[in-house]
Amino acid sequence: MNTAKRDWQALLTRHEMLLLYVLIAEWLFFYFAGTTTNRRGVVVGFGTLDRQFDILRHSCEIGLLALALTPVIITAGIDLSVGSLLGLCAILFGQLWHDGGLPIPVAAGLTLALGALAGGLNAALITALRLPPLIVTLGTYSLFRGLAEAITHGSITYTDFPETFLFVGQERWLGLPTQAWIFFVVALAVWLLVHRTTFGRTFRTIGLAPEGARYAGLPVARRLALVYVLAGLIAAIAAIIYTARLGQAKADAGTGYELFAITAVVLGGISIFGGTGSVHGTLLGVAAIAVLKNGLACLPVVMGMNAAEEMSGLLTGALLLLALTASVLPKILSHVRSRPHAPAP
Amino acid sequence: MSSPLLALSQLTKSFGGARALRGVNFDLQAGEVHALLGENGAGKSTLIKIVTGAHQPDGGTITVAGQIVAGLTPAAAHALGIACIYQQPALFPDLTVAENIALRLEAGSALRRVDWPARRARAHDLLARIGASIAPTAEVRTLSMPEQQLVEIACALGAGARIVIMDEPTASLTHQEQHLLYAVVRDLRAHGVGVIYISHRLEEIFMLADRVTVLRDGQSVGTHPVDTLTEAALIRLMVGREMTQIYPPAESVPGDTLLTVCDVGCAASGVHHVSFDVRAGEIFGLGGLVGAGRTELARVLFGLTPADSGEITLAGRRLSLGSPQEAIAHGLAYVPEDRRRHGVVLDLPIAHNVTMAIHRPLFPTTWLRFGAERSLALEFIRDLAVKCAGPAAPVGSLSGGNQQKVALARWLATKPRLLILDEPTQGVDVGAKGEIHRLIRRLAKEGLAVILISSDLPEVLGMSDRIGVMAGGTLTAILPGHSDAHTVMAAALGTPEKGAA
Amino acid sequence: MKTYFRELSVAAALGVVLLALAVFAPAFYQPQPLLSLLTREAPTLVVACGMALVIISRQIDISVGSQFSVCSVCAGLLAARGWPIYLVLPASAACGAFLGAINGALVAGLRLPSIVVTLATMVTLRQGLNLVRQGEFVNLPDGIQWLGLGQTAGQWLIVLTALGLLVAFGLALRHLAAGRLVYAIGSDAEAARLAGLRPQLSTFLVFVLLGALTGLAALLNVAQSPQVQPLSGSGLELKVIAAVVVGGVAISGGRGNLWGAFAGLLLLACVAPALTHLHVEAYWEKAIQGAIILLAVVADGLRSRKGGHR
Repeated sequence: MNTAKRDWQALLTRHEMLLLYVLIAEWLFFYFAGTTTNRRGVVVGFGTLDRQFDILRHSCEIGLLALALTPVIITAGIDLSVGSLLGLCAILFGQLWHDGGLPIPVAAGLTLALGALAGGLNAALITALRLPPLIVTLGTYSLFRGLAEAITHGSITYTDFPETFLFVGQERWLGLPTQAWIFFVVALAVWLLVHRTTFGRTFRTIGLAPEGARYAGLPVARRLALVYVLAGLIAAIAAIIYTARLGQAKADAGTGYELFAITAVVLGGISIFGGTGSVHGTLLGVAAIAVLKNGLACLPVVMGMNAAEEMSGLLTGALLLLALTASVLPKILSHVRSRPHAPAP
Repeated sequence: MSSPLLALSQLTKSFGGARALRGVNFDLQAGEVHALLGENGAGKSTLIKIVTGAHQPDGGTITVAGQIVAGLTPAAAHALGIACIYQQPALFPDLTVAENIALRLEAGSALRRVDWPARRARAHDLLARIGASIAPTAEVRTLSMPEQQLVEIACALGAGARIVIMDEPTASLTHQEQHLLYAVVRDLRAHGVGVIYISHRLEEIFMLADRVTVLRDGQSVGTHPVDTLTEAALIRLMVGREMTQIYPPAESVPGDTLLTVCDVGCAASGVHHVSFDVRAGEIFGLGGLVGAGRTELARVLFGLTPADSGEITLAGRRLSLGSPQEAIAHGLAYVPEDRRRHGVVLDLPIAHNVTMAIHRPLFPTTWLRFGAERSLALEFIRDLAVKCAGPAAPVGSLSGGNQQKVALARWLATKPRLLILDEPTQGVDVGAKGEIHRLIRRLAKEGLAVILISSDLPEVLGMSDRIGVMAGGTLTAILPGHSDAHTVMAAALGTPEKGAA
Repeated sequence: MKTYFRELSVAAALGVVLLALAVFAPAFYQPQPLLSLLTREAPTLVVACGMALVIISRQIDISVGSQFSVCSVCAGLLAARGWPIYLVLPASAACGAFLGAINGALVAGLRLPSIVVTLATMVTLRQGLNLVRQGEFVNLPDGIQWLGLGQTAGQWLIVLTALGLLVAFGLALRHLAAGRLVYAIGSDAEAARLAGLRPQLSTFLVFVLLGALTGLAALLNVAQSPQVQPLSGSGLELKVIAAVVVGGVAISGGRGNLWGAFAGLLLLACVAPALTHLHVEAYWEKAIQGAIILLAVVADGLRSRKGGHR
């Protein structure tokens, strides 16, 4: 039992390394197979810097949601509402700026506060009433998206944002896409929170042993509330970046993003049972999915089929199933070995 | 005598290094109530689990109705007519009583029609037979623990079990319910069923049982017809072992009174009217049988299930302990009984476990200081002689005794004034046991007040300055530390001997 | 009565909505639009029957939307090849059952958490379908739409099929030993094991059943239009789970029934037409549905806190 446990842990600590190899192999493959020179002698495809920046630019929003979910899943919880909240926050931001006439920074600040407040609704239901996170966030998933649709009457799209704001989503700053800097700052902040503070320690303990955490005098309810509020806040940041990238705020912003984010997190080595995993694992998971998606689009074969999106989705799903199966294999094997008799009929 | 219903011969069983059973002989006749008696940890539960097929014995034979049975599984035991009424019933909480009984008893195709009236009628009959007034349509989750137990008995009855094992069936029953149960047991006997009856209540055994087998340290030390024994003789058989362990001598002289508990109760956890005090530097032992309310009392003191009546005073200040955080802030520490679930987090490194209760003082800025954490962990590893690969090793990789030392270290790191130890040496090998005992002595000498909860009677006797004995959720006696085993056992069993303090 | 308190309160809420509509918008009760509403909801109801089983057994399946799409396309392709409807129907169900078996094997066999397993199969199936079909519509031959009958007759047949399945499964869940097994494994899998039942096998079969019902539902949906949309099932999973949960099926397993799920489904389905008829903007639909889910969950939470011990 103990050895099996140790093997299992060794596997997990190696998980990030494994994912890193996959990512590097993936990247090299697409670099060589997905870069071509066109008729005019210009290098196009995966190997160009522009394309790399594109990958970065397009992974920021899902990456942020994956970061939001990382502490949540470490505490053995889940938040299905982040994608819908992204949509709601995008709308609120557009409305505050357009209809409310607020300057962009004030509107953004208010949006962040509202995002945190929405996360607070999840937190209150989950911690005060002790309801299962899955079902609470399923409800808010519907509620937040519905509010966004109700506010916009399903049709209003906020556009014509000022150039200075679009700079955040469409230009480069210090050589990198502007929003990538925001993403990096949030990633660093979440990394520090999870890996370098007592908060992260407590998240992990709650995920592994919620009762044990209570016996150790840790403030379980307060920390659980924090992770959901934080998820709301980060979803709001993602909403603003999304709006800046597309130059418009629509009610359907971020539809389905929650599932990509959860996939990235689980691929990154965080057990849905809680307690394990790391922020860098999540980042690697996000990168692996993003490179796969964009790389496939650069392959001549796939370009001919016009199916990059689908193929990357298929491979991501298959990868996730593989990672899951691999994660329980040691447990199953040791279980079979340690059982002296066949299971009771 | 015809061939016995059940015969066990020379059964042995080890878990890891610990030998739970070292040669048990036991036999059960049809139409007999055979009581199984022994201290906590004498091997009773292991024996039950072997008979019900949950565990496989390492050696020895099991004979059921003259046939030797090998490789017994739960299903096979069921088919042989062996039924067990556990203290914690394994029922379906969301389903009705009638359905719970039916799921155990009905066989046949999964596509057969459920005959609800028949289910209810059968449940009604079975419950009526044991005199229980439980509605067959009630959901099990709404029943109390004793009611659930009665449902279990009804299941066994319905299954036509020939061998019924009852593991402390009356532990949580009211007086009236108890008498109903006795009638059920007598009824079973009259119908030729063999009943293995485990209980700590001696009066019950004298009232019900035909024969008694006493287990001690995993061995059967004798089977006697009940009418040849007296209570005193029975107690002597149970505790009759020589002191196998040398306990370190007391070195400290208790100082001023630190903790005063006055008439404390907590309805939710069944603790009521508990009063005692503990002095600095004193080891206050809490004895009693499993289920007497000792752990529940500790949880009340630590704020896990806050008290709803009475007063708790620490060093002259009245405390209202609503949460473990408050208890820790006042200098209380609690090393819980269930080490693997509550005491340590197995998947986390030793260092994380050691600093878990001192986040605030050790990391005042909330930033982790790995250096400080590591050196603190190393200090405790050295001080408590934890055998491990280093502070980064997960606690799950350690032996039971070393895990316990880590659990202790977590609380010593809080520099407590009062330390509550709940079964600190359970599942710990002999060597580590001695180390933990010496450590407890040292802590007391340093002025710490210690409440030592233990089901190991010699440990309580050997370590304590004073001994409180609990029974039925309250403190029934406070005895001096040099009391003998008989006195404590008698108080715990609720039959104080004449002349005892 | 106490046993069905939860279901009755959902039914009462539904009754209030229907009554309000009768008073303020009698137009809602015109037979043709009402029949169309029921026809649209019929496939969802069939999937909800299966989902209720899965949730009662303490699992969840969020891949039903993708399964639904895959089955729709398969059914459409077979029909386009000239298969008659009475062969397409079992083929679609078999296709669903196979997909359900994959989930069931991963959950029951490898003991993986169902939420992640079905998340993975959801993504894989949907993208696999997109890859193969490139979003192409399947044009159906005559004789498939409205199951080869006229529109009204077809609509009736679809609604009655769905209701028939509901009643069959609702009764089976209550009156067949197999149905009670679903409750037993959801209530306490360990107790089920001790009682000699086979929780893993039952879990597997419940997933297979949900798949088969999803396949049937897909066909009932395919039969409503002249073409098969490859994305017809997207979003179905959350709609179905919401209906089942609002109807009082506990996400923690072992509690609830199909009658409640049916009431929950109707309640959520009535939101949109009610809004239209009461002249509220239809865009509030999702928000109100979300609020209904939360209300139901909070009510359950408060009830279980007050209620008996566990």
